[in-house]
Order: sequence, then C-alpha cells, then structure tokens
Amino acid sequence: MSDDEKTGLSRRNFLMVTGLAGLAAQTGGLVAAGIRTGRDPRTFTGWESYNPGTQFFDRRRFEFDGPAYSPVGSVSRPGHRTDYVFGRVATFERAFARNPDWTLDDPIEGLGLPPDLEAFYREFPERLEWDFRTFSETIPNNRRDRREYGDHYRLAEAYAAGFEAHRALIPSPQSPPEVSDYLRPRGRGARIPEPVPFRSPELAAEFVKELAHRYGATLVGIARMNPDFLYSDGWRGCPPGHDFSRLPEHWEYAIVVGVPMEWDVVLASPHSSTSSDAYDRISTTAFRLEGCLKSLGYPVRTHSPDAGYDLIVPPLAVEAGLGELGRTGYCITPELGGNFRTAVLTTNLPMAVDRPIRFGVAEFCNKCKLCAEGCPSGAISFADSPDGMVIRGYEHWYINNGACYNYWRETMGPMGCRLCIATCPYSRKNSWLHSVARDLDARDPTGAVSSALLVMQERFFDAPDAEAYRRPPHGEFANYRPPPRFLDTERYLDIPVTRPGKGG
Amino acid sequence: MFINGPLFWFLMGVVFLGVGAGFRAFAADRGWVLTWWKGLLALVWYAIFALTVFAFGTLVGENEAAAGLRFLAFGLFLCLVLGIVLWRLMGHTPAVDRRASSPGTPGGPAGP
Ligand code: SF4
Ligand code: SF4
Repeated sequence: MSDDEKTGLSRRNFLMVTGLAGLAAQTGGLVAAGIRTGRDPRTFTGWESYNPGTQFFDRRRFEFDGPAYSPVGSVSRPGHRTDYVFGRVATFERAFARNPDWTLDDPIEGLGLPPDLEAFYREFPERLEWDFRTFSETIPNNRRDRREYGDHYRLAEAYAAGFEAHRALIPSPQSPPEVSDYLRPRGRGARIPEPVPFRSPELAAEFVKELAHRYGATLVGIARMNPDFLYSDGWRGCPPGHDFSRLPEHWEYAIVVGVPMEWDVVLASPHSSTSSDAYDRISTTAFRLEGCLKSLGYPVRTHSPDAGYDLIVPPLAVEAGLGELGRTGYCITPELGGNFRTAVLTTNLPMAVDRPIRFGVAEFCNKCKLCAEGCPSGAISFADSPDGMVIRGYEHWYINNGACYNYWRETMGPMGCRLCIATCPYSRKNSWLHSVARDLDARDPTGAVSSALLVMQERFFDAPDAEAYRRPPHGEFANYRPPPRFLDTERYLDIPVTRPGKGG
Repeated sequence: MFINGPLFWFLMGVVFLGVGAGFRAFAADRGWVLTWWKGLLALVWYAIFALTVFAFGTLVGENEAAAGLRFLAFGLFLCLVLGIVLWRLMGHTPAVDRRASSPGTPGGPAGP
C-alpha cells in the first residue's frame, strides 16, 4: 500500500469515526433538547401570560358563515332549576332534607318539588335516580372516605382554597339587568356615564379583544346574543315574578373570554386537580373588562364562575369562533382543547362579531371515544355521531349531568372531576409535538391524520381504567397522571397520611 | 441555559457537519457514488431519525416517558425499514456513472 493510499485511508477512517461520534453526540443533544422543550413553561399556553400571543391559531381559513347551530325542533330555553345542574341539585337537596325517608319507590309528589323540576324529572327519570343517589349514597360515602384518606389531598385543597378565597371579592349582580348592568362596579349605586362612541364596530371589537387579553384572557371572541341560550328563570338580581321571557334590550352582544386550568395540575384529575385556578382567573378577567366597558358608558353584565351565569356558555363560545362543540358537550378550542374555562359579558357596545370555525373536532370526536371510555360515571355518550341527540330544540353532543355531578361528589381533594378534559387529545399544551399534530389534523381533509393520531394516542399513552378512578372497593381513587410535586402532601406536611391506592 | 440556547444549536450544527463528512467518507469507503438525490434521501432519513429522537425527549420532558419510549421504538423501527431501502438505493450506480467508470469509455479509466 502506497503512502498516499495509507494517508487517504486513515483520513477516511478519521472522518468516519468523527461522523459516528457526531451521530452519538447529536442523538444525546437531541434527547436533552427535547426534554428541555417538553418542560419549557412557555408551552403552557395562557398560564399567566397576559398578551394576545396566546390566541395563536389562525382561524381565518377555518371560518364559515354562522350560525353554527340552528334549531331542528321546537326550542325551549334551559331552566336554572332543571337543566343547570347546580341549581337542580340544590333544589333537590332541600326537598330531600325535608323528606329524608323518601325513596325512588315513592311517588315523586312526596318530595314537594317545584312544578318545573317535577316535570323535568318526569321527562328525564334517570336524572332523578342520579340526584337521589348523590344525596342518599354518594355524599355519605364521601364523608367517610374523606375521614380516612382526606389528608392525602391536603395540599391540593389548600392550593384550590387560595383561588377560592378571592371569589368573595367578585361581586354578583344584586338587581335586574336593566338596573345593575347600568351601575358602576363597586360604585355604591352610581350610574355609568353616557356611552363614548367608537369610530367603528371593527375598532370596538379590536379594542375589546386587546383589553381582554391584557386583563388575562387567553382566548376571546364576540358573538351576537341568542336568547335561546339564556336561562328561562333565575337570573341574578331578579325578584320573584320577573318577566324572564324578555331579552334585556342591551344584551345584544356576547363577549366570550376563556383561560385554561394549569396544565400540570389538570392532568392530576380527578382527585388532585382543581378548576378554581381558572374559575378565579377568568372571573377576574371578566370583571376587569366589565369595569373598563362601564367606564366608557356601556352597560355590561358579567356571567362568570364566581359571579354566576344567566346563560349557557358553550354555544356562545362556538358562535364566537373560539372552537367547536366536542363529545363532552363543551367547546374545544385549537389552542387549549377542552381545557378552557369561560366567562361571558353581555353588552350593547356595537362590535364586529366573529364567525364560527370548523377545524376537525366534529370528525375527530365521531371517531374518538377516549373521554367516554375514561369517564367514571358513564355520563358521556358512546354514539358514533351526535345525530338525533336533540336537547331544547338543538342537535348536538350533550352529557348526562346528573351522572357527572354524582361522580363529582365521589371524588377526593377539591371537588370535581375534569377527567374528560385531561384525557382529551386536544387538551395538550403548546409544545411543538402537539402543535404539529393539531395543525396537520386541522388541514387534512382526508381524515388520515386524525386516524393516525388516534391510534398513537391509544397505543402510546397509558391511562387507568374508568373504574380505577372510583372509590374503593370498585377503584383506588386513581388520577390520570400523578400530581405535580408541589401538591405532594407527604413531601411537605408532617402529618400521617393514608394513601388510597397506588394511583392516588 | 446552555441546552436549547443559541450556542447549543450552533454546536449541534457543527457536529452535524461532522456527521455529514463521516457519511461521505463512509460512502466513499463502500464505493457508493453519491448523487444529489441520494444526498437528499439521506438527509430526509436523518431528519426522520432526528425528529424521532427529539420527540422522544419532548415526551420525556412532558412526563410521558412510557409514551416516549413507545414512540421511539416505533420511530426507530421506521428508520430501520427506511434505512434498509436507503442502503440499497445508495449502492445503485446511475447509468451515466456506470459508463464513466467502465474501462475504455471516454473519460473512463484506460483499458488494459
Ligand atoms: S367531568 Fe368526569 S364524570 Fe363528568 S363527564 Fe367528564 S369524565 Fe365524566
Ligand atoms: S376525548 Fe376524543 S371524543 Fe372526547 S372530546 Fe376529546 S376528541 Fe372528542
């Protein structure tokens, strides 16, 4: 072998060894960079980020002329004491407290319910069964469970309590809309000034959206108000005998704002998570926006978790172009999936309204049943499509809220469940991996991407069985994912703790 | 923070050049004739490999290590299959090069 050949070979060998070492270094570097990317707090969309960049999905090419939902039959408005689960169970609880020996075998008249609720239970007898089970069985069991295992959730409860303490500062309207909406917030009865005109509805919408983001909203959209989505009774501040058939004249527009629950906490659903973070943040955001618009002379009523609601939000969020209705019956957005807590401001400030969007949720939900499979109460439908699911004259997905509420009262920690949010493939933070998946799926007309994503979700990601989330002996109070470290009671608190199971 | 910072990605770029040089040396060693489309296919293969590894890291960072491992296994299997196809294509000598390398053709090595 000549010297030249030897030099050529050794140079070649050197390059090959360098290349191999480079390959190993690149692999290690990519893993390290990936881990850092996966942990990057900037991927937690909307988590304390007060700027419009959180509404990053370009909706324009997915918009269509609304309305997204049109009645398919005779329309009736939802009842505050019937359809609204908290109103209904509170009414049932009072009736049951007066008649503690009442059972499902007794005539319903024996409960002395208001006529509208009695009629509702006759129409939906399974809701009566669930509500009865909640107060006769689930809540007493839960009291015992909390005595045994409650300390395990002390930090999750304490974390939620911080947000709940703020609730007392958010005022609720004390008089009918025609009065309270024209009063300055905390103004001791002072009326708002004369309205200051905007140059155009488009500029008004632009201003409102900018401010909403700056006040803390992750997402904001504007829709024209639809009276079908108002409760038929029980508006805040309205005395008995109020005429609820009339839409207040100044409720022309609905500004819908939303924020996510904290991403690592919501994954620890149902027992170690809370909704209070998002409830508090969105109520605060909405109240700030109310103050701003009233200072410009526009009447406003805020409908928020802490101030209460006179309307149902999901259809308005859909009409405002924030997302699509999913199998779970709530609005699924491109940025936050179902991890989206909302407030609405009704006002007469003339604004350009948004158009609804279609970005593939309807098709995805028809194929995907992950939330239904994971739901511990069986509240979510397994149907192949929402066809035929008509409620109050509109056809769309809806859940059995009696079954859902029943499970809420079975859970430990801060009350509630949120599992359907945690398990939904759309409810993922904004890392490049999930962004690519979301953007490809939204732009794929064939449905192949969603099918592939669904297979990956089912095959790659572990999830406990629905039963495992339940109380012993059926389950072990499992969580979808372990809670973040700051909620680990045993790490921080010097108290004896009984762990309910390996998943808790 | 160094990882994911500008210096980190600059160094990753430098290392990538080393990987490229190593690949060229490996191709020469095996007698593969590198053309533009072979280079492009090799780049695509490497991008799939790199994305698989990066996605694995991202899932681990999101506390989804089990999903990350399954994704890695799937991605590496895909890379293996594509790698075998790529290997066979790499050994393919384009007609013009075959002519150029056969003895006695203009531009080719001199005949015996
Ligand atoms: S919150 Fe829980 S119980 Fe209710 S529908 Fe969702 S998964 Fe089911
Ligand atoms: S889990 Fe699946 S079916 Fe349920 S809301 Fe999400 S995408 Fe739709």
